[in-house]
Parts: sequence; C-alpha cells; structure tokens
Amino acid sequence: MGRYAIRRLLQLIPVLLGTTFLINYMVWQLPGDPFAARCGQRPCPDAYINAMRAEFGLDQPIIVQYWHFLKNLLTGDLGVNFNNVSVASQLAESWPITVRLGLMAVAIEAVIGIVAGVLSGLKRGGFLDNVITISTLILLSLPVFVTGFLLQWLLGVQLDLIKPTVSDGAPFVELIVPAFVLASLNLAFTARLTRTSIIENRRSDYVRTAIAKGLSNRRVVGVHLLRNSLIPALTFIGTEVGSLMSGAIITEGIYNINGIGGLLWRAVNDHDFTIVVPIASLLVLVYLLANLLVDLLYGVLDPRIRYE
Amino acid sequence: MSEPTAAPAAPASAGKPRSLWQDTWDILKHRKIFWISFALLIMFLVMAAFPSLFTSKSPEYATLAKSMEPPSSDAWFGYDLQGRDVFARTIYGARTSIIVGVLATVGTVLLGGVVGVIAAYRGRWLDSLLSRIGEIFLGVPYVLGAIIILGSVAPVQSNPGKTMIMTVVIVVLAVLGWPVLARIARSAVIQAKHQDYVQAARALGAGPFRIVFKHLLPNSLAPILVYATITVGSYIGAEATLSLLGIGLRTPVISWGIAIADHTRYIRTGAHAMLFPAAFLSLCVLTFVMLGEAVRDALDPKLR
Repeated sequence: MGRYAIRRLLQLIPVLLGTTFLINYMVWQLPGDPFAARCGQRPCPDAYINAMRAEFGLDQPIIVQYWHFLKNLLTGDLGVNFNNVSVASQLAESWPITVRLGLMAVAIEAVIGIVAGVLSGLKRGGFLDNVITISTLILLSLPVFVTGFLLQWLLGVQLDLIKPTVSDGAPFVELIVPAFVLASLNLAFTARLTRTSIIENRRSDYVRTAIAKGLSNRRVVGVHLLRNSLIPALTFIGTEVGSLMSGAIITEGIYNINGIGGLLWRAVNDHDFTIVVPIASLLVLVYLLANLLVDLLYGVLDPRIRYE
Repeated sequence: MSEPTAAPAAPASAGKPRSLWQDTWDILKHRKIFWISFALLIMFLVMAAFPSLFTSKSPEYATLAKSMEPPSSDAWFGYDLQGRDVFARTIYGARTSIIVGVLATVGTVLLGGVVGVIAAYRGRWLDSLLSRIGEIFLGVPYVLGAIIILGSVAPVQSNPGKTMIMTVVIVVLAVLGWPVLARIARSAVIQAKHQDYVQAARALGAGPFRIVFKHLLPNSLAPILVYATITVGSYIGAEATLSLLGIGLRTPVISWGIAIADHTRYIRTGAHAMLFPAAFLSLCVLTFVMLGEAVRDALDPKLR
C-alpha cells in the first residue's frame, strides 16, 4: 500500500509537468497579444509592450519561461498581476471560499446521489425508480447555469426564500443553494452510476449467498451490496472534483460569490492571465490528488483489489 | 425507463443470424422514450434547417418601444431588451447551437477515434505515449481550458466574425474533449483486436487499414456512437455556457446561449427573455441525452 502510493505519487509528476506546461503554452503562446487590452481603446505603445514583455519574461523562449514558472512555483512565489497586486494574496482570500463551496457540492452529490441511486436500484421499475430516473434525466439536460438562474429566479426572486446573491464572507447557509447547483449535474451522474451497479450486483452470487445464509436485508444491502457498488460512483466523484471546482466560475458568477471563479472571471475580462496559470495549476493538482485518493480508496472498499 | 413490454424477441429459430443492430432496433421500436426523443430530434433539425417554417417574424427586426414586453398573443414569448421577438430569436437560435454541437462532436470523434484506434492497434510505446498525452489534456479542467484558449484567441473585447468565432468554439470543444472518446475507442478496439475474426483477417493477409476499417471499426462503433449522441447534447450546453461567459459566440450570431447571456441582468423585471431560450436549450440537450441513453440501454445486454 505505502509503496503503491509512493509509486502513484511519482507517476503524477510527468502529468503535472505536462499539464502545467500546456496551460503555460496556451496562456502565453497562442496568437493574440496578452497586453492588447491594457491601454483602453487605442493600441499600446511599443515601448510599453516591450517593457511588459520583458517584465513577464515573454521575450525568452518558452522553455526558459516554463523553467522560471516552475522555480517560482516551488519557492511559493506566484508573482504579481498586471496591476502589481500579489497573486498569492488574491488566492489566499478567494481559495477558502471556493474550497468550502466545492466540499459542500461534493458532499451533496455524494449523499443525495448515492442514496437516490441505491433507492432506485433496489426497486427497479418501481414508482420511486421512475421518479428518480426522470429527475436525473432532467438534471442531466439542464446546463448548470440554467439550473442556477432558474433557482435564483424561483427561490430568490419569486418565492423570496433565499437571497438571490450570496453576501460577503459566504456564510454556510447561503452557500447551500449554490452548492446544490454546482453539484446538480454530477449528482445525476452519481445517482445513475450507483443505480446501474446496484442493479448489476444484486444478481451476483455473493448477494444470493448473503441472503441465503439468512443475513438481514439491511446487512445484505448496507455491507455486501453497497460496498461493492460504490466503486463506479466513487471514481466518478473523485475524477470530477477538478472540473467541479473549475465549474465554480459559473456558479460563483451567478450568485456573486467571491471565490476563485470570480477572480478568474475578472481576470478573463481584464485580459490579465497572470492569475489564470496558478489557479489552473492548483486545480490540476486537486484533480490529480483526488484521482490518487480514489485509487487508494478502492482497496478499502474492495479487498479483492490488491496493490502490488 | 419503462420495461420493454414484450420480452426481446428470441432469435429466429432458423435462418440468418441476427446482428447486434437488428436486436437493438427490435428493442428500440417498442420504447416510448426512443420515439419521443426521435420526434424531438426531427423537430429541432427542421427548426435548424428551415426556421421560417415556424415563424414569419424576423429575428433581427427590433422595435425599441416594445423592449422587454411580456408574452402576449401577438408575441408568444414576448420581446427582448432590444424589442426583438423572443420566439423568432429562439427558433433561429437552434441552427447555431446544433451546428456547433454536431460539428464539435464530429471533430471529437475523428480526433479521439483516430488517436484511440492507433493507440490500441499499435500498442506498446505509442499506446503509452498517446494515453499519457490524453491524460494531460484530461487534467485541464474543461471550463478553464476553454477560458484560457478562447480568452487568448478571441478575447472578450475583440469582435471576431461569425464564421471565425464558430470555428474557434468548435475547435476548442473538440481539442478539450477528445481524450474521453480516445479512451472509449481504445478500449473497444482492444477488446475486438484479439477476436478470432481479426486474427483470421490478418492470416488472410489483410493490411492494417483493411483490418481497422472493415473489421475493427464496425464492431467498435456502438459505444462510440452512443457517446457521440450524448456528447452533442453536452456540447450544445457547453457552447451556451461559453457564450454566457462572454468568450464564446458573440452578438451578431443568434444563439440560445447569447440570448440567455444578454438578459441575465434583467431576471427581476423580465425573466421571459431568458427563460424561453433556456427552456429550448434544455429541451434540445435533453433530446440528445435521451436518444443516446435509449440506444445505449438497447445495446447493453446487461440491462436487458
């Protein structure tokens, strides 16, 4: 187990290097001048562009730029944005809010998704199954921002149950609806994956054996069936953590939450990409670590899976 | 969804062996959900091809005096901020959304399919290399990758032409989406690769192209097709999301995403200008997802 974890950690390094390189490349090397919008309506003077290019190292070859990025990243120096505000301090303010929103979303998607999946899988073809299948289908076809605006309009504007936008500091209660919106798509997938694997595993021999030896229904479902059926749902939840957090840009935009989504949003509008690279790298790291965690959890859920 | 009423027809006792597609069709034609999504699909395709069949009004014609008027018998969906007919704009919006969704999916299938088939067929170091590259692309979160590429190539302030911005959005969706399809194609081909008929074809002296196109692809098509159908739906949603963020399609283009984006600030005073395009958008995504799922359930023997 320990050796396996270390090997997997080492395997993360090339993917992390590749992805951060790709992000650096896309941000700085794609056609389009990164400083184009810095001077309002008129084009920037050459002297300014040259000075900025030199300051952000764009006059050097991409490999050298990437090396500087890595060196700075490892020493914890994330640099400053075009307005000379420290990127690290901006991140420190907004990161905790997005993490809170993301964790709440993961909790909602895991709990509701798995419960709904188990309930509908156990009574396949029943009334509850049909209700759950149809509602997950609807959730799947509603883009996240549609769900977001719809709930904002319905609960916030029409029924006046929640505040349409989240206030400063993002208190827990006000984040519940945004977290549900963020989780909605994944929740539907989780429910369906759980349902499918419950249906498949219910016919398996070990379940029949468990029933035959007289175990209570609760134990058969809760221990034997559930543990084996959780793997696909868990894989999905784990692999989607990264994109869940990047999807926060939309939810945070709708509900006016000051997380990394809002930060990204302003950066894109100002055409200032200095903050995009660290955020993207951070999200990639989250994605890779979540995947690793899922791989390690497999063994806990299913002892047949061995790490060599 | 609903259980098939008749048990899947047992293979005819004598005569020709039945193909996978025949079996699938036999199940599909008894499924209500398949026919519903099929009818919706036809409706959306006709809407995209001949929008003037549905409305006689122009989507561009604006009467500012009618700005944000609620739905009435005169204009079923009301008027938008510029005083344009929301119904007409919603109908005309279908074309862009469907073109972007379908072409981006075609791009994804071609790119991912080629990479997946090559990786599976060649195996060895090429397989690991391509899989690692796929992992790298998969590691870039979708929205973020699109923001980065579109933000560099077509920044928020810029005003690219209609064809240009549609092409860019299609390319971005395909470039970020191919690894998933590559994985599906790869595993489908790897499963088929060691079957006897492939060995037989090889023994008969068939070249790699013939084996791939005549033997491997037809037998690996089902999962790719199902994924592609569902992907059209999710790409239509993704296009709208990018338009909402201001980095996807822009104003001279008529699309559901833009219509929603233009009216998000007026949610308190005139939600109709946003809710109707959003409803059509969701229904269109639902159509493709439902169709894909109906076909998948019919294809999957485990769920029978």
